[in-house]
Amino acid sequence: MALDPDFAAELARELQPADYIAVLKLFREDMLRLVGVIEKAAAANDTVGLRAAAHGLAGAAGSMGAARLEAACQIAMSRHEVIPDLGVAAAEIRKLATAVLADIEHAIARAEAA
Amino acid sequence: MNDTIPVRILVVEDLAAQAELARIFLTGLGYEVRTAGTAGLAYEIALEWQPDGLLLDLELPDYNGLELLKKLREAGNDAVVVVVTATASMELAKQAIRAGAEDYVVKPYNRDRLGVTLRNAIDKRSIDHQRRHLETALVHTQTRLVAAEAKLERKTYAGFIGASAAMRAVYDTLQGVAASKASVFITGENGTGKELAAEALHKMSPRANKQFVPLNCGAIPRDLLESEVFGHVKGAFTGATSDRVGAARLAEGGTLFLDEIGEMPIEMQVKLLRFVQTGTYSPVGSSKLEKGDVRFVCATNRDPLLEVESGRFREDLYYRLYVVPVELPPLRERDEDVLLIARHFLTQFAAEERKRFKGFSPQAEAQLMAYPWPGNVRQLQNVVRNIVVLHDAAQVELEMLPPPVYRPGMRPAPPRVIAPSPPPVAEAAPEAAPPPEIPEPSRPAPMVSQIVARPAVPVVDPQTEILPLAEMERRMVLAALTRCDLDIPRAAAMLQINPSTVYRKVGQWRKEGKLPEGFRI
Repeated sequence: MALDPDFAAELARELQPADYIAVLKLFREDMLRLVGVIEKAAAANDTVGLRAAAHGLAGAAGSMGAARLEAACQIAMSRHEVIPDLGVAAAEIRKLATAVLADIEHAIARAEAA
Repeated sequence: MNDTIPVRILVVEDLAAQAELARIFLTGLGYEVRTAGTAGLAYEIALEWQPDGLLLDLELPDYNGLELLKKLREAGNDAVVVVVTATASMELAKQAIRAGAEDYVVKPYNRDRLGVTLRNAIDKRSIDHQRRHLETALVHTQTRLVAAEAKLERKTYAGFIGASAAMRAVYDTLQGVAASKASVFITGENGTGKELAAEALHKMSPRANKQFVPLNCGAIPRDLLESEVFGHVKGAFTGATSDRVGAARLAEGGTLFLDEIGEMPIEMQVKLLRFVQTGTYSPVGSSKLEKGDVRFVCATNRDPLLEVESGRFREDLYYRLYVVPVELPPLRERDEDVLLIARHFLTQFAAEERKRFKGFSPQAEAQLMAYPWPGNVRQLQNVVRNIVVLHDAAQVELEMLPPPVYRPGMRPAPPRVIAPSPPPVAEAAPEAAPPPEIPEPSRPAPMVSQIVARPAVPVVDPQTEILPLAEMERRMVLAALTRCDLDIPRAAAMLQINPSTVYRKVGQWRKEGKLPEGFRI
């Protein structure tokens, strides 16, 4: 699972269903926007831009229980001096974000159904 | 924290999900919440909305949270700041705390964690504020206490020496009225320090950087008084060969001290009244009005109301000048101030005369306390100088006190039951020995019944009679003393000789029985 189920369950308990769904949807938007920024920065060899976006995404992912995505973002932040790695890091982040996205969609659907 | 008004929290977070999560958590905890996605927007909201706290993400799109924190502090905003940080930016969070943030919370956080962190930070700030408030209040209280204690224990003030209740009341009045422009009317027996009080008022007033001009109305011939006060123009009267500036002009912006105002001729009082009322005057011989801004301080050793009732002093002028009365107590009503002053003069004169005196014996102190001091501080000053000039010992003994304070065979006052004689004032506070108490110039007429009338000493006219030079000298000195109301320093100044010389001669004449009976000096 890209999203930690225990973490997601705790978050769901703490929030009203509507709030939970709203937060998931907002995270989805943030995540997709930041992944886009990371990819553009990688393509432009913009280490500073990539690092800033990865930092933001790491925090957001950590807050939603997306631990692997958070870790990938932190690795990307630490490798920014090595230019060939930027593309690799961006691709890894995209792959994990896609997995997180699937889990989010599933969680939203489940919450809305409930 | 106030229980009725919700605490305001501004969430500064650029990621929408994070901001919304914080908003939901905090709203659920009872806070009033607003969000800002950029540092610039957060700055504007913080200044306008005045939140109690900020939940601050450090990585923001426009500029970072540290810079925002600095700008807010510079703008005087002291909201509690809790920094939100990922583990990777812990160092940045610590920097933020050094820059004034209260605490930090690490992502991911749940509602309880966020609530506790924020509540603790706000409570800590509140306690800090209360502590600072209490510390400030404590400092103010301590300052007031120290001032009150100093006031109670004050032994010197603006040149005066004395800690008696009567003098403390005088100090309070002088202190209270100094800053005002109100006219002050000082009353008191000769030798109580009226001119000193007037000078103290001037020195403590906003007029201190201008002139203090004393004028003794009793010492100036009646015909010249108007010219002395208001000045004159060339040709105003015989001998007015040039324009002359008067005391009113000299005291412009400062203080005009009219001593012995009861001696002022009634026609001069009219002119003074106009000056007091309108602030304008004309120099003698001039038709031109001049404006004057002076503070009036007047003094007399008479009862001013009695002078009004007797018609010697204009009632309208009295009410113009008698705005703030200051009554200087006679020395006999100043308790142990006698000893404070005596010790001060002893230290001063012993240093001047290079004598060994360090204090008074208990018997001598008891006698000083028992004596009524009709000549007040000036008389005490003369007595101490007399002792220092004529004797030399470690302490002043009873027998050294000159008449009329003590005479051989006189039954001495019982010694006071006191601790060993304290050191002189100057020794007790060597770093700031108080200046000597200089009484105002005396007026010719004796002012209290205790002064025994002094016989006139015939001064020989050398054109018609020739006497031994020593006798001529004795008569001249005694005549000068008579004219100066037994004020030895003043008589010595007029004779242009050292006061010590006068003291020695007076002592010698007393031994030889050549001092007239009335000379109680």
